[in-house]
This record gives sequence, structure tokens and C-alpha cells, in this order.
Amino acid sequence: MSGPNLAVVGMSYRTSPIEVRERLAVSGEALEADLRKLAEEAALEETLLLSTCNRVEVYAGTSTAPEALERVRRWLARRAGRSIDAYVYEHRGEDAVRHAFRVAASLDSMVVGEPQILGQVKEAYAAAKSSGALGSLLDRCFNQAFAVAKRVRNETEVAAGSVSVSSIAGELAKKIFADLDGRRVLLIGAGEMGEQAAKHLRKSGAALYVVNRSREKAEAVAQEHGGHARTIEELEAELVLADVAIASTSSTRFVITPEMMRGVMRARRHRPLFLIDIAIPRDVDPRVGNMDNVFLYDVDDLEKVAQENLSARRREADKAERIVTLEVQAFEAWRRASAVTPTIVALRERVRGVLDGELQRTLPRLEGLGEPEKQALERMLDAMTSKLLHRAIAELKAGAERQEGEALLESARRLFDLDRAEASASPASDARDVAVDTGARAKQIPS
Amino acid sequence: VVIALFAVTAALYALAGGLYALFLWRGAAPTGSWSDRALGAAVVSHVTFLFAGFVHSGTLPTSDIHQALAGLSLLVVLGFLGTMRSRPRLRVLGAFITPVTLLLFLGAAFRRDVGPVPDPVRSALLPVHVAVNMLGLAAFALAFAAALAYLLQERQLRKKRFGGIFERLPALDVLDSVGLKAVLAGFPMLTVGVVTGALWAVRLHPDSFPLSAAQGFGLLAWILFAAVLLLRVAAGWRGRRAAIGTLLGFLCTLAVLLGYVIRDAGGVQ
Repeated sequence: MSGPNLAVVGMSYRTSPIEVRERLAVSGEALEADLRKLAEEAALEETLLLSTCNRVEVYAGTSTAPEALERVRRWLARRAGRSIDAYVYEHRGEDAVRHAFRVAASLDSMVVGEPQILGQVKEAYAAAKSSGALGSLLDRCFNQAFAVAKRVRNETEVAAGSVSVSSIAGELAKKIFADLDGRRVLLIGAGEMGEQAAKHLRKSGAALYVVNRSREKAEAVAQEHGGHARTIEELEAELVLADVAIASTSSTRFVITPEMMRGVMRARRHRPLFLIDIAIPRDVDPRVGNMDNVFLYDVDDLEKVAQENLSARRREADKAERIVTLEVQAFEAWRRASAVTPTIVALRERVRGVLDGELQRTLPRLEGLGEPEKQALERMLDAMTSKLLHRAIAELKAGAERQEGEALLESARRLFDLDRAEASASPASDARDVAVDTGARAKQIPS
Repeated sequence: VVIALFAVTAALYALAGGLYALFLWRGAAPTGSWSDRALGAAVVSHVTFLFAGFVHSGTLPTSDIHQALAGLSLLVVLGFLGTMRSRPRLRVLGAFITPVTLLLFLGAAFRRDVGPVPDPVRSALLPVHVAVNMLGLAAFALAFAAALAYLLQERQLRKKRFGGIFERLPALDVLDSVGLKAVLAGFPMLTVGVVTGALWAVRLHPDSFPLSAAQGFGLLAWILFAAVLLLRVAAGWRGRRAAIGTLLGFLCTLAVLLGYVIRDAGGVQ
């Protein structure tokens, strides 16, 4: 292989049951320790461990992909205490990069576009970095993954629009009242979904008032969510004060009628009211929805919005996939280019080394050479190196732009026996970093 | 030079307006900042244009209706930019404000030399009349944009069909309060403007049709805005009704301007 490449071994909610994933889940401080153990036991040059409730993935940078990945699998199986082959997927090279980008951009999430995953990937990255498991390849890959996630968030609407009914209620409320802080939310009745929606609004800073036919029930719900209990007799008065009202009683008749609302709206001087009717059968007479400054939504309306948001997200996901494809290409171009540099440096050193060896052997036999003459010879060898390799280096550089370049690189390394020469010099990863550095300087020498 | 600056300014406003519209409908973040830049460039070009005009003719933008339009359109944009500074979410209003600006600015092009202003008109009141009306109109233009956005947003909430612009339009209460504040700011100006205008009407007994029609519209606009404010205080009329009142009021003030432009362009005698 021409230099290290990326690979990923892992399992997600798509491929494995929770029972298996939970045995592998690690977090916090354990993560760094596990990472070090993994890097050591699987002999990986670079590694990153991503563990969330939906996935466990090992990213690796390695020059010996099949063997190294097998070691990762064995490590995972040992930790899980069972065979995991049925649940594991594996991606290499470009596919691994694409996978990393899609995960970070929340395109592989259970709820596409959910924002938590990016934070989790960043944590995994930070842990890998501080434990020293990160090399230049994974570092670059994940930094770019963060950039991809940002692009996807900014340029598509994959994350726009909630897909759960209770959060949609909160989202719509924010389109009527910019700031829910200090607004009054009135919960009428105590249906489960109503409570959920109220909880959402409460989180945005709204004050909660609970009205129930049973005083005890009202107080229990108010207590649970940090609200205030009111009796059913106070319903009209509370409607006058509320900004958002959520009806979820088990009443079989309309609790809120147009006649009642006309008085309420007058009393509240037509301040807008967001009415959410989550009860089945409905609590609010649908005619109320035609009144000015009353915005009435029932369960079907909210479900419809959820469905629309979901399909809108799917459409946007296509756009996001195109961004990912472009970014993967950019990464691969960088990787190929950076794989070329150490080869070019090694090639120069090899040729120059051979020429130098011959010179040292010949010099003692040449008599009467002064310092100027010796320097002239050195310069001649430099020029010979450059001229001999000029075409080869140009081809290698040009090859970096294309996929076929990798084969070319491989050939060059074999023809000049570069891998053995390099291996004897220093550990691979160190050589790589240094080589990139000298490579930049090497470019300045006219070739 | 003045004409070239005029064309450049108009083109930049058109560009900014297009970008704001694109931002509103499609919502790509880069179009948002680019539209701000285009608008900024338009303002710079606009100021240069006004300055060049001042150097060229030596008169302030309050001296005739065309220069007043050029000055007014600048005030509208500056008002919008000032509002956006404190409430960045109102950027989408650029999609409504910029076309109004462009329209007013283009109005300044229908220029025909009508000679010096007739003597009876030329009083100390004239610059006051023009200046307060310009300020008032600039405020109403903002109110108009907020009202339009309010109606769009309200319609979506009511029909329960949400397009992309739903995401980007600000909340109803924000639009309502921006509209109210702008009308509150513009109303005293309009009042002074209508009173000073009426003084001339009495003094000059003008009998040309477009002007008397313009005065009618001026009065109508004043009544509409007064109603918007009064009914809000007295009967709690807000939201949709206030927005519609604001919309109509602004159209009336535009009709007044149109009257002047038509007269000076010599279209109707």
C-alpha cells in the first residue's frame, strides 16, 4: 500500500440490536483509556473511537488494512463477550471518509438532522486527540467532517422543522411569540401528549398554569412541571391571561366554544392566542379557529406538520449528500497529494544517496582536488538527481490528481525499493510528518 | 456622472432586492450576507449620487419632488438598516423594503425642468413640509414591509401550510410591534405634513387634477393611520386588521407622491 489509508469498523442502530451496542458503549474518561488499549492491541497507527447510544465505531488510519481491521473486530468481540460479525460493517478508503462525513452531518442518524451527533463526534475527536491516538490522516478527516456538518447545516434544511408533535407545538408557538420567556401557558386537562407539549414550552421559559376538573390532579401535574394549579371554574379567566392554551381533556363535549371565546378575546383585547387541541374527541369547537388572532391547531394539524417536516428533511438530505460527495473528493485529493510527497522525498534521497555513495568511494582516488572542486562535484550530483527524477516526479505529482496515481506511486516505491529504505530509517508515522515538511521545501528547489 | 451614478444606484438596489427575495424564498445563508453587501454598496452609491446632484445644482433634496424622492428612498434604506442592526432577524424584510426603495428612487428619474418654483409656494414652510413628509414616509415604508410580512406569516399559520419562508419570517408579535412603532414614529410627521400641505392648498387654490387628488389621498392616508392607532388603543385592533390598515395607508401616501410626479412630468394637466 502507498501510505496509510482510512477505514472504519462499527455497528449502528441499523445493523445491530441495542443489547449488543450497550455492551460496547464507552464514554467520558473510560473513552481515552479504551482508546489507548485499542490502539495498542490492534496495532493501529491512528485511531478514533465513536460511541453513542446509536452507534459504536472505530475509525483507523492504517497501512495494513485487512489485518488491522481484523484485529479491531477481535477487540470488539472480546469486549462484547460474544461474536459480533453479524452486526458489523466495514468501510475502507473513500467509503470510510464518506461514512465519517455522513455521520458527523447527521445524515446517518435515526432522526436525520438531529443535532446531538455532531457534539458526540467532537467529543470522540477530542478524546482521540488528547490520548495521542490521532494522526494527521484522521485529524484532517474529522476536521473536514466538522466543516461538512457546518456546510450541511447552513446550506440545507436537513435540520429544520421538528418531527415530534410536542416539539412542533413549541416551534409554532415561537412563530407567534418570538420569545416565550415569561409567556403564560395554560394546560387544560391532563392528557399525556398535552403534558409533553407543555413541558416543551416550559423549557423555553414560559410559566405554566394547569386547569383540571379535579383539583388534586391539577395540583399533581402543576407540581410535576413546576406550574400553578387552577380550578375549572377559573378556565375563562385563565384563557384571558394565557398566550398558549393546550386542551387535552377527556370531555366528550366542546370545552371551549365560540361564544365563550368571543368574550375571552374581547377581554384580552385581541391579543393573539395559540390554541392547541390535543384531545380526542376534540375539546375546542373548530369554529373558534376562524376567529381573528386565534390560531387553533388540532392533533391532525400537528401530525400533518410533522409528516411534512419529515419529508422535507428527506428532500434536503439529497442536497446534503451532494455536499458530502464533493467534500469526499476534496479529502481524497488531499490524501493522494500528501501520499505523494513522502514518496518524492524518499525518491530524491534514494537517488542522491546512491550517487553520494559512489562519490565518496571515488574521491580518495582523485588527487589534487581542492574544496572548490569538491563543491562543484556536489552540485553536479544535485543537478543529476534533479534531472534524472524530473520526469518521474512530475508524473507522480500529476498522478495525485487522479485515482490511477496510486498505482503509479506503488510502482515507484517498488522500483526504487523505497519502503525498505524508509522503514529502516525511522517509524513510519514520524517519517510521514517530517516528510510532508521537507516536501514543502523540496518543492522550492527548481526541478 | 450624475446619470451614471443614478443608473448604478438603481442597478444595485435591484440586485439587493433580488438577493433579499432569494434569501426569503430559498433561505441560503450566503445570499443573506451578500444582499446586505449589495444594499450597502447601493447606499454608498446613492449618497454619492445625492452629493453629486447637490454639487451640480446647488439645491438640497427638499427643493423639488424628484430630489425629495431620491432623498426619501435613502431615508427608507437607512431606517431599515438601523432597524436591522438591533433586530437581525428582520433582515428578510429587505425583500419588501428594497423594491419600495427602488420604486421611489426611480420616481426621481421622471424629471422635467418645471422652472423655478412659483413664488407663492416658495415659503419657509416648503422645506419643512417636504422634510417631515420624507421622514414620515420612510417610517411608513418600514411599517408597510412589516405589515406585508405579518400578513404572509399569518396566512401560513392559518392555512397550516408552511413554505420555506415560514422558517425565515420573524414571529407575528415582532412584526406587529415593529409595524406599530414605525406607524407611531411616522404619524406625527404625516400630521405636520398634511397641515402644511393644507395651508398651501388654501393659499394657492390649485385646480390641476392630480394635485387635488393627491391632497385627497394625503388626507385619506392620515385618516387610515389615525384609525390604525386609535382602534388599537380603543378596541384592541391589532395583528391582521392593523396590518391591512397600514398597508392601505402606505399605498395612499404613495398615491400622493404619484400625483406630484405626474404633475411635474407634465402627464396630466
